Amino acid sequence: MISSYVAGLLAEIGIASIAALSVHVILAVGQLSLGNAAFMACGAYTASVLTVEHGVPVPLAIAVGAVVSGVLGLVVGFPALRLRGIYLAMATLGFGEMTRSFFLSLDATGGAAGYSGMQRLSLGAIWAWALPLLVLVLLAERSRLWLALNAVRDDETAARLLGLNTVALKLGAFTVGAALAGIAGGLFAHWHIFIEPGAFNLDRSIEMVLAVVLGGSTIALGPVFGAAALALAPEALRFIADWRLAAFGALLIVILLLRPQGIIDRRLLRALKP
Amino acid sequence: MTVSRRSLLATPALLLARPAVSQARFAGMEVKLGAIVPSSGPFAEWGRTNTVALRMVEEQVNAGGGIGGARLSIAIYDDAARPAQAANLVRKLADDDKVLAIAGPLTSSACEVAFPVANQAKLVACSQASSKPGTAAANRPWAFRNTIDEAVLLKTSLPWFKRSYSVETIAIIYDAKDANSVALGSRIMPEMLKENGIRLLNEGSLATFNTGDIDVSAQVTALKALNPTALVVAADYSQAVTVLREMRRQGFIKPVIGGTPLISSAILRAAPEIPVVSCATYYAGQQGEKVQRFTNALQPRLRATAGLPPTIEPSMYDAHMAEIVGMYTDAVLRGGLTLKPADLESDREKLRAHLEKLSGYEGLSGPIHFAETGDAVKVFFTVVGQNGSWTEKVRGCSTHGSLTC
Repeated sequence: MISSYVAGLLAEIGIASIAALSVHVILAVGQLSLGNAAFMACGAYTASVLTVEHGVPVPLAIAVGAVVSGVLGLVVGFPALRLRGIYLAMATLGFGEMTRSFFLSLDATGGAAGYSGMQRLSLGAIWAWALPLLVLVLLAERSRLWLALNAVRDDETAARLLGLNTVALKLGAFTVGAALAGIAGGLFAHWHIFIEPGAFNLDRSIEMVLAVVLGGSTIALGPVFGAAALALAPEALRFIADWRLAAFGALLIVILLLRPQGIIDRRLLRALKP
Repeated sequence: MTVSRRSLLATPALLLARPAVSQARFAGMEVKLGAIVPSSGPFAEWGRTNTVALRMVEEQVNAGGGIGGARLSIAIYDDAARPAQAANLVRKLADDDKVLAIAGPLTSSACEVAFPVANQAKLVACSQASSKPGTAAANRPWAFRNTIDEAVLLKTSLPWFKRSYSVETIAIIYDAKDANSVALGSRIMPEMLKENGIRLLNEGSLATFNTGDIDVSAQVTALKALNPTALVVAADYSQAVTVLREMRRQGFIKPVIGGTPLISSAILRAAPEIPVVSCATYYAGQQGEKVQRFTNALQPRLRATAGLPPTIEPSMYDAHMAEIVGMYTDAVLRGGLTLKPADLESDREKLRAHLEKLSGYEGLSGPIHFAETGDAVKVFFTVVGQNGSWTEKVRGCSTHGSLTC
């Protein structure tokens, strides 16, 4: 029997893993999104309103939240087709702030005061979402589709010349990534049973990207490992009290210097195989 | 750190409502409390002073013989003002540390997430600073706040502000990223201004800024153009100083009114010539034997703590923290607790029941009770910060039904 504290951390890791996978999928086509917290917010608010106001069962509400976030991802994905690198990052960052401001001004969901009334999910329910999603992404990574996504990432022009529909691939990645973030949002809302716009700010988006960068972006286990590290490291560093966040930052820098490709990659996994 | 005889003598007066029933009733036992403070992140200064205040109380109680002979131990954790961490810390304190009750968390956002967990764990959590309307009331019966709702405080401070500074017109600026400030600036204040017959010049287009903004010159220029008699600044002190400095830079010297998060020595330094009106249940410089003993004991400790400004003064939230520990101590002595590990669950329930019907407990500024909303009924003061110090102007009580100070 684990303590409720450990259960709480495991739940956080489960939710953060799905959120990190949402960045991972978009990154597979070489797109960096700094606005995934906005998709998470859409999923969180949609699922919460459905369960609280309309009595929709939680799993169905989370699924609807994922669809709403996915559609929003598709809409955002269109203008994003013309952008790459830092320009795309800036555009998605702007979208994230816009969405946060929208919920800040939306009285129907409590505005800045936040929204509550949801029923709390169990740790098992959170991992019942996280594990299959992780397996799905791992399976997708072994498919030709993922190869096509990576081809777009490596050289979009060459991929197009090979006959790949790069527009559909990029939009698809954005849509699936946004839907994953929406699921993470729905779970977040029904774990904390309170949400407010401040919970989906730029820091949240950066945490998602950081989990991928830290854990490794070449295989789905990387973002999950990164999410776990980001959740556990500040707790493990509590013994240094006021300096723990500074130490956490220093630790991140050291890890990224030693493992610029992220902690987990295929080579490491091969080396670990007996 | 040395403990003066004077500060040791302060202990029973501060913490114990009445003489202990039996001084050695709990000899050899331990009273384990938890505290959640933001020692890092945006409210680090408050969190760090809270930690010093808690350690001082712990040291004084134990040096004075403990609580009925039991040693006081406070497990203090940093939540970095992040709601998810605060919620997990409630779980840790409940299950791993097996504390009797929790002091904190500090922010309303953290309380919104942590209080439901405290309810689930059947563990009292009492915030030292949250004043967002309804946060404790939504999480009864285990959530408490040793604070007063901002709307209640304004009923006293706003009429005084209007009278004293002949305020006929006013404008509002608030931090749009902070839930407490949004509630105060966009909802509570406009209603209260109307009730008090003060004309709001920027109604419909209230000025806003975001937490972390370092340039508010455009907003202050627009406010200055309205030429109000006074200004509402709804923000915590760390953000409000930016507005005050800009007002000073533009020569826009008008009286300012805001909520309790303005009470800080940083506000006094930002623009000493601007009178800043707010409410407090404690302020450094407050007169009174008990309160001065507290200030005199804590201030040198704060100033000797690395990472805190050398001119820092105890905050209202330090006083609230000391009072919360005092109320828990009172419950141990008078609430029928056994302190036996096997009785932890029933002891937690007894402590909760004791707080709910708290009577005869003397805080730093007067008696404290809890309304059915979970918020404190206690004495407060309307204070003016100007020329480097806070001055008490009006004394009030957050009377609730038959409960009064």
